[in-house]
Amino acid sequence: MTKAPPTRLPTGITGLDEILGGGLIPARAYLLRGGPGTGKTTVGLHFLTSGDPHVEKPLFITMGEPEAQIRKNAEAVGFDLEGVTFLDLSPSSAFFSEVQSYDIFAPAEVEREPTTQQIIAQVDMLKPQRVFLDAMTQFRYLASDTFQFRKQALSFLRFLIEQGATVLFTSEGSHEAPDDDLQFMADGVIHLDFAAEGRTLGVSKFRGSDFRSGLHAMKLSATGAEVFPRLLPESYQQEFVAEALPSGVPELDELLHGGFERGTISVISGPTGVGKTTLGLQFMKEAAGRGERSVVYTFEERIGTLLHRAEAVHIPVHAMMQRGTLSVVQVEPLQWTPDEFACLVRQEVERNGTRIIMLDSTTGYRLSLRSGDLVGHLHALCKYLQNMGVAVLLISEIEAITGEFRATEAGISYLADNIVFLRYIEVQGELRRAIGVLKKRLSSFEPTLREIEITRYGIKVGKPLTELRGILRGMPEWIDAPRSNGGRDEGHIYDPGRRP
Amino acid sequence: MKATSMILAVDRNHRNLELLSQFLGREGYQTRPAATLEEFDQALVEANDLGLALVDIAGFDRAIWERCEGLRHHKIPFLVISPKQSAAIQQASLTHGARGVLIKPLVVRELLGLIGSLLEEDADQGEAEG
Repeated sequence: MTKAPPTRLPTGITGLDEILGGGLIPARAYLLRGGPGTGKTTVGLHFLTSGDPHVEKPLFITMGEPEAQIRKNAEAVGFDLEGVTFLDLSPSSAFFSEVQSYDIFAPAEVEREPTTQQIIAQVDMLKPQRVFLDAMTQFRYLASDTFQFRKQALSFLRFLIEQGATVLFTSEGSHEAPDDDLQFMADGVIHLDFAAEGRTLGVSKFRGSDFRSGLHAMKLSATGAEVFPRLLPESYQQEFVAEALPSGVPELDELLHGGFERGTISVISGPTGVGKTTLGLQFMKEAAGRGERSVVYTFEERIGTLLHRAEAVHIPVHAMMQRGTLSVVQVEPLQWTPDEFACLVRQEVERNGTRIIMLDSTTGYRLSLRSGDLVGHLHALCKYLQNMGVAVLLISEIEAITGEFRATEAGISYLADNIVFLRYIEVQGELRRAIGVLKKRLSSFEPTLREIEITRYGIKVGKPLTELRGILRGMPEWIDAPRSNGGRDEGHIYDPGRRP
Repeated sequence: MKATSMILAVDRNHRNLELLSQFLGREGYQTRPAATLEEFDQALVEANDLGLALVDIAGFDRAIWERCEGLRHHKIPFLVISPKQSAAIQQASLTHGARGVLIKPLVVRELLGLIGSLLEEDADQGEAEG
């Protein structure tokens, strides 16, 4: 017989619950540790206000910040503390005056008993199911030595738990006063940190449950704390048929032997202005015809410019957006961390059923998101989308306009199932464009290059350029002995008359 | 002398006096607080019921030693409470008749033990003399 999984108590923060596998296990004590300004109190307020106050009777025991100040700050962020009871053990301003300060006995001798009595009386009366204690380290000053502190803290937590409470307590750990002892005695440890890349949350211990390891992005906003769990692609799977998604341009689909398959990552690479975004949008236009939704995340170009450009080449983006088959999202520089961005994409896929996602461009992704390991994050995001059966288009800009050929920049080629490249070529002193396929994992593809033109009627792709060589160098030459018909008079965009 | 003897508590800090009175009161001792030299003098005038004195010297000048001599004169045993460990204070305290010097912060249990034994000793002496 298998044991039923333990019931979970929501923390009030969706992302944190996801990291904890559904929430906290009730009637246990959890340590929330972090330096000043890392969001401990905010997480505590979420915890206290997430349940039904009439049933769970949340209790906030404050040892530092006075109740009035907490209430004021909480209301500013939109927390309703109506049903939360406070036990304010913070010193009043009167303590500063001579009347209140003393030195004849140690604080441990004087304060411990009344403090304990107040807590016991409050807990006995209220019988809270959720207790937030800020901060447990204050009890250190009420103990004569570290052994006494450990014993007192443990018995205090046990007292609360025996009364049926789930306890979240904070610590102000520092190098000078480490809180390792509290970490040992807690049933779970949640770490909050505030680094240059942004706020993070991590779980290092959770007795009786699995949890999502690593550091996760956290945001403190006008509505409280939000946590963005690190994406673990393997935990998401969706059944899908890896059918090819055509572009709607017959020659392009011929080149790709059908199109890009669902659940594949396609890199469209090329120099600036060659038509990479337009090519990606072409696939979205065709998908919109089937009623499927696509999303473009644009990191560099303004939405207005992108839409204007698309309309100018016969891609009805406004109509698509109206019907909900297209969404264009502008990502401002340093607006999000990669985890936040990944959460945004996940919502798009899981709530709106988006089938094609384009990141324009990978360089912009690298520059706009705040993190050290961007390729790792991009990898995780792409693998997740792949598992969900979404076709991913990564726009990769090559800096060199012509010259020696490079498939992609930024070391992302290894991610790609498909690589399509666009090149400028010079023919007879005229700048033209060519398209070719370098890699396609799920099907064969046409090994030749074709000319591509972006006109106001849309994308036009020519016949295979079998008579030119050196295209990848950007300076193609005619092959001396052309075939009998050479295909030159069969709809090439090339004008045969121009041949030398 | 009985355990209910009055204990004179001398301290500049009112909160210290309150705490002393609170902790000693729990053990059944009555305290008479004195926060100034005038109050100390007054207590010495009505010294009949005093069984013991605790003198926190912090905040007093050398005049405190004269009052300590007064306690010795009235055969009231007393302990000096000092804010720091100091050979000079210890020497002055013993010279002026103190039974011992305690350094702050005091440990309640130790203080109670000391008070108990001093009062008991004093009572035994009183009985022997009587």
